Amino acid sequence: MSPMPTAMTMRKIVIAALGAALGAAAGLSFYQSRHLPEPVVPGPGVTAVKKLSDYFGPLEGTANDVNVYVLEGAEPGGAFLVLCGTHPEEPAGRLAGWIFAENASVSKGRLFVILTANRSASTVTRLGGAYPPDYTIVTPWGGRTFRMGDRWSSPLDQWPDPEVYVHYPSRQELAYIDIRNLNRTFPGRPGGTLTEKTGHAILELIRKERVDVVIDLHEAELQYPVISTIVAHEKGADLATLTSMMLSSEGGFAMGVENSPRALRGLSHREIGDNSDAVSLLLEAPQPFLDATRGRTDRALLLTGRDEFVVRAGKQGLLFEKIDDAGWPIDVRVGRHTSTILQILEIWSEDNPGRAVVAGGVPRYDEVIKSGTGAYLKDVKTADPAKIVYE
Amino acid sequence: MITVLYYALTAFVAVLLVRNFIDRKKWQEEVLYVIVLLPFVLRILRLK
Amino acid sequence: MDATASAALVLAVMVAAYIAARVLKISTELSLLAAALAGALAGGAGLPARHIVEGAFTYFDIVLIFVSATLFMNLLKESGGAAFVVRAILRRFHRRKSPLFVLLAVLLLIPGALTGAGSVTVLIMGGMVATVLSYMDIPRPRVAAIIFLIAGLSAAAPPVSLWAMLTAAGVNMPYVGFFLPLLVPCVVLSLMTIFILGRKARPVDLEKALEELPQAPPKMTWLRVAAPFLAFFLLVIAGRAFPFSFPILGLPLMFMAAALAAFLLSPVKIAFLRTSRETVHQLLPLIGTLTCAGILVQIMALTGVRGLIAITTVTLPVTVVFLTLFLILPVSEAVLMWGAAPVLGVPLVLLFNTIGLDPVVALAGMSVIWPLGDAIPPTAIIGRLTTATVGVKEPYGQFLKHGLVPAALIAAAGTLMVVFSKKLSFLTVF
Ligand SMILES: [Zn+2]
Repeated sequence: MSPMPTAMTMRKIVIAALGAALGAAAGLSFYQSRHLPEPVVPGPGVTAVKKLSDYFGPLEGTANDVNVYVLEGAEPGGAFLVLCGTHPEEPAGRLAGWIFAENASVSKGRLFVILTANRSASTVTRLGGAYPPDYTIVTPWGGRTFRMGDRWSSPLDQWPDPEVYVHYPSRQELAYIDIRNLNRTFPGRPGGTLTEKTGHAILELIRKERVDVVIDLHEAELQYPVISTIVAHEKGADLATLTSMMLSSEGGFAMGVENSPRALRGLSHREIGDNSDAVSLLLEAPQPFLDATRGRTDRALLLTGRDEFVVRAGKQGLLFEKIDDAGWPIDVRVGRHTSTILQILEIWSEDNPGRAVVAGGVPRYDEVIKSGTGAYLKDVKTADPAKIVYE
Repeated sequence: MITVLYYALTAFVAVLLVRNFIDRKKWQEEVLYVIVLLPFVLRILRLK
Repeated sequence: MDATASAALVLAVMVAAYIAARVLKISTELSLLAAALAGALAGGAGLPARHIVEGAFTYFDIVLIFVSATLFMNLLKESGGAAFVVRAILRRFHRRKSPLFVLLAVLLLIPGALTGAGSVTVLIMGGMVATVLSYMDIPRPRVAAIIFLIAGLSAAAPPVSLWAMLTAAGVNMPYVGFFLPLLVPCVVLSLMTIFILGRKARPVDLEKALEELPQAPPKMTWLRVAAPFLAFFLLVIAGRAFPFSFPILGLPLMFMAAALAAFLLSPVKIAFLRTSRETVHQLLPLIGTLTCAGILVQIMALTGVRGLIAITTVTLPVTVVFLTLFLILPVSEAVLMWGAAPVLGVPLVLLFNTIGLDPVVALAGMSVIWPLGDAIPPTAIIGRLTTATVGVKEPYGQFLKHGLVPAALIAAAGTLMVVFSKKLSFLTVF
C-alpha cells in the first residue's frame, strides 16, 4: 500500500470530523431551541386550560395542538379571543398575551387567549435571517426565556411546500412559502396542511364558543405601510375607529385605523370576519428588528428596537412610523397591545351590554413602561407546580 | 405519506453525496461535499 | 464605533477574505464560505455553528429541485431522447430560420417559467437547443449567451417568478397582477435576444448535421420522449387545477416522477445509480454555491452588513437608484442569488411604493433585470452552468461579450418598466 491513499484517507476523516462537529453543535442548538419549555403560571382569572384539538380533533398530537386559556366571569356576557403568536417572530404580541394569561381577572363574559397560535413556527428561526434562538425578559426574580420563532411553520412539521400555494377557498395564488404562514391560511382547510388545519381549528373555536371579537396581535417593520394601527374588518370599523380615537386622545400613544382590503386573502382580519359571526381586528406594533435595513441582528435589537440604520431610513422619509435613538423598546410595544385590547373591551362592552366582557388586573401602556413587562410575569419557582402549563 | 417520500429522497441524495465524497481526490471538493451534506443530514435527523 | 463603521469594517474583511481565497486558488464556493467565516470572526461572533448551518439550509428546497430536475434530464439524455428530438426538429425546420427561432425561444421559456429557476431551463432544454443552434454556424459562446439570457427571462416569466414572489411575500403584497407585467417583457425580450444574436445564422446543412449528431436508439419514439414531460406537466396542472383534492407533491417529487417515467420508458438500459452519482457531481458547483451563498447571507444579516448594503441603496437619490438598477440588481444577484429579493427587493419596492410608483409593475421590471446577475462573478452560477452545458471552450469573457447587447436591452426595458410603472399599471389585471 502506498502512503498516498493513507494520507488522503486521513484527510477525509479530518474533514468529515470537522463537518460532523459543526453539524453536531448546530444540531444541538436547533434541538434545544425547538424544545425550550415556556412556562405559563395561569393567573386568577383562568378557569380552564383547553386545547385547540378540543375544537378540531385532527390537531391532536401535532405541534400546533396549543393551549387555549379560558377566563370565564361569574356574570354571563359576550366572548373575546386574543390571538397571539400567529407570527411568533413578533414577540410583543405573545408577551401581551402572557400578561393577560397570568394577571387578568374577568368579572363578566368570557375571554379566550391563545399564546402561540402557530406553535410550530415558534420552534424555528428564519433561514438566512440570523435570528437569535431565544430572548430573555428580565423579571424582579430573575428572568423568563422565550423561543424566538419565525413567521412560517417548521418544515419538520409541514413538508413539502407546493409548487404554488393556492389559498383555500378563494383560489388566490400566493408565494409557495406562505402555505406555512398562518396569517395567509385563514379560514383554514380541515383536510389541509398543518397550518391550514390550525386556521380551521381557530375558526371552529370562534364559531363554537360564539366569539364576538377576535384580536390578532402582530408587529411590523417600520418600512411597512400598515403599522401602529388597527386593521379592521368592515364589521369592526366603528369599534376600531372609536378605539383609535380614545387611545390617541387619552391612551398616551397614537393608533391608526385601516380597513381590511378585500383583495388580501388568508389574513385573519379578512377571513375571520368573512367566515364567522365575529368581528376581526388585527393590531400592528412597530418592530425595527424586522426591517430589511436593520443592522446587527441580535437579542438587544429585538428587545430595545434601537437601530442606527433604521433611524437613517427614517430621516430619508422611508418609514411609516417615527423612530429615534430611543428605539422601540419591548415594553412600549407590549404596552400598546395591552392598552389597545383593554380599550376595545371597554368600548365593545359599553355598546353591547348584553355581550359585554369585563376584565381587570391587566396593566395599561404607561404601567407596562413604568414597571416593565417582566413585572407582570409570575415567578415559576414559587408557583404551584401542579398549575404550571407549558407553551 | 408524501413527507416520507421526501425524507427518502433526502436520504438518497445524502448517500450519493457521501459516496462521491469518498471517491474525490481534491480536498476542496471534499470540503464542499461535507458542507452541502450538512443540511441533508440534519433534516434526516429531524433537527432542522 | 457606530453601526456604519463596524458593518463597513466587517464588509471590508469579507471582501478581503474572498479576494485572498481566490488568490490562493480556492474555488468560488469555498471563497464565499471563507468570506462568511471571516465576516463572522470580524463581527465578533466567533465561529457561530448555528448560523453557519442555518444559512446552509437557506436554499435547501431549491437544491432538491435542482438535483431531481437534473437527474430527470440526464436520464432522458442517457435514453437517447434528447438526440431524437434534436434530429426531428432539424429535419422539420432546417430551412426556415424564423419559425425555428420562435420555437426554440418558446422551448427555452417553458421550464424556467414553470419552476422559477433559469438553471432548470439550461438543464432541460439547454443542451438540445445548443446543438441545433451550433449547426446553424453560430459560435459556441454566442449560443451560450442566447441560452443564458432566455433562461434568465424564463425564470422571471410567470407563473412562477421567485424574485417577485419572495419580494411580494416580504412586503406582504399578494402575488397577484404579475402575469402580464412579467409575460410581455419576457416573451418580447426573448425573441429579440434570439433574433439579434442569431442574425448571422445560416441554414443547417442537414446531411452533415444528422451525421454528426448522436444517433437516437432505433426504438425511440415521440411517445417515449414526451411521456415523462407529459407526466411532469400533468402533475403541475393537477396541483393547480385541483389544489384542494390533489396531494401537495412539490417540485422535487414531480421531477422524480418524470425521472422515473424516463427511466422506465427508455429503450436502452440505463445505469440508474451511476447516472445519479454523476448528476450530483455535475451539480456540485451549483449546489455548493447555493449552500455557501446561504451561509454568507446569514452572516451578513448577523453582522449588520446586509443592513448597511440595504440602507446605502435605498438612501441614494431616486434618480440614482433608477439609473443604477442595471448594476445594483445583477450585482446583488451575483452575490446573494435569491437572497437579493429579501435584502434589496423588499426595501426597494417599499421605496418605490412610497414615491408613488406601481409596486407590481416596478417589481416585475426589477425581476426582469435580476437574472442578468447570474452570469457575473463571484457566483456566476447559471452562466457557468450554461457554458458547461453548451460546451464552450473559449474563455468565459467571450460568452459575456456576446451577450452584452441584448443584456443592455433587457436592463433598459426593466428600468423603463420601473420608471413608468404608473403608466403601465393597466397590465396588472390578473
Ligand atoms: Zn405579523
